[in-house]
Amino acid sequence: MASQTAFEQEVAQLIVDSLNLEDVTAGEIEPEDALFRDGLGLDSIDALELALAISRAYGVQIRSDDENNRQIFASLRALSAHIEANRAAS
Amino acid sequence: MTDPTTDMRPLIAEAPEPLARIGDRRVSRAAFLADVQALAAQLPPARAAFNLCQDRYHFAVAFAAILLRGQTNLLPPNRGRTTLAEIAGQYPDAIALVDGPDAEIAIPVLRVAARGEAGEAMGPVPAIPGEQTAVLAFSSGSTGTPTAHARSWTALHAVTAQALEALDLAGHPGPTLVGTVPPQHMYGLESTVLYALLGHTTLLAGRPFYPEDVRTALADSAPAVLVTTPFHLKACLRAGLEWPSPTRILCATAPLSPDTAARAERVFGCPLDEIYGCTEAGAIATRRTTRESAWTTYPGVEIHPGETGRAWVRGPQHPEPVPLPDHIEVQDTRLFRMEGRLADQLNIAGKRASLADLNRRLNAIPGVLDGVFIPPDPESDTHGVTRLAALVVAPKRSEAEIQAALADCMDPLFLPRPLVRVDHLPRSATGKLPRQVLLDLLAHHGQCA
Repeated sequence: MASQTAFEQEVAQLIVDSLNLEDVTAGEIEPEDALFRDGLGLDSIDALELALAISRAYGVQIRSDDENNRQIFASLRALSAHIEANRAAS
Repeated sequence: MTDPTTDMRPLIAEAPEPLARIGDRRVSRAAFLADVQALAAQLPPARAAFNLCQDRYHFAVAFAAILLRGQTNLLPPNRGRTTLAEIAGQYPDAIALVDGPDAEIAIPVLRVAARGEAGEAMGPVPAIPGEQTAVLAFSSGSTGTPTAHARSWTALHAVTAQALEALDLAGHPGPTLVGTVPPQHMYGLESTVLYALLGHTTLLAGRPFYPEDVRTALADSAPAVLVTTPFHLKACLRAGLEWPSPTRILCATAPLSPDTAARAERVFGCPLDEIYGCTEAGAIATRRTTRESAWTTYPGVEIHPGETGRAWVRGPQHPEPVPLPDHIEVQDTRLFRMEGRLADQLNIAGKRASLADLNRRLNAIPGVLDGVFIPPDPESDTHGVTRLAALVVAPKRSEAEIQAALADCMDPLFLPRPLVRVDHLPRSATGKLPRQVLLDLLAHHGQCA
């Protein structure tokens, strides 16, 4: 399995904690795998829950009219990169 | 016999308010009608068409075009392949009107891309026969195939007029409806599409989802009415944002606690009204949750205790009395309390389903020898949404295969989390599955994972 960066580990833990994923540990989330439907099998409720956790932890507001909203949630790697970029910009 | 020429109802109300807002652009009623007429001309002859449009303006254009063509809007409860195929089986000539991805099944599609820029329609507003079936809304029945609930155009006129009167939304100038609910849901159709078509309000084309989307939409659309669900409202309250004040909040799909309602009124600085309804009867009652726990029916709608413990409701929009899927205490013909759901009914984030139906669908999957859904504890009110769990006996199917088969026939909200495969279910001598035994088995597997 591909290794997670330190920040990806942090975001993976946030995903597991905020979504109460009982049968997955943070370390098991493949950085490049799909988070939704095909990978972890998350859905729109999870997306909303995750958005709340991200805004609390990093002050980054997720918006659905972002052109790249689908890409943001594409994988742990994409999500972590989005948070880092927007946290840095603010 | 009714003379059809005497019961013609207008397709839209004539009002100075725009019909829609697309971003910061307003679409007049005449421009909307031009889009509707252009789309109706493209519809092939049929009895009905799926309206799967996600953008609310596209949905409204498709909805009205289907009516204008003398057809019925098919509104599926979810977009699972099995669900759509079951409905398509009953309406083999139906095409799908879409604006995003194609339909999940192989049926002809017509893309809706109207943006209110095709000019303005001339002449009088078209009229639709009142008895025409305007929509078939489907709920997951306990019988197997999705159960269709028909609404005539007269019935939709009636419920909309009742709601606008009960909610005091009939005046000018009408606000803009900012909806977080999909238009295919009866509540979404009534409160975010019909209030605009048949009233003086304006619909917002977009469907804000994240709290920041909702905040931006409210700020850009003042005066605005937020049309939402407990699920979305709680998420907005938890987001800790500075909220622009809508003129009011409408909330439906599951009851809101008085505490949450009070908090919402404080944070948003406006009154909050809840609407009670169900797919079977449509919206029928309202309450100002911070002031009253009982529901008052819409004007002209009466509620009665049933003989078998199931209350029923009847208004001008109901050709027959409609039994309600909840435990209801009727206080008088226009006042009632909702005491809880019937045992078989589930509500996850505002979506209803029948537990018996979910279990039947699980056990219908090839390779599943036995299986049972376990509803969440109704007492647990942790933040977020509690999911169903499932125990499944399926030695030759993987968890992913079973989840994929379930996703074809139910809303993703009902997909079990976790789904645990076991050697056999702990059935008692009578074949029953005691809840505590199931929970113990589930907990045991959680520890082993």
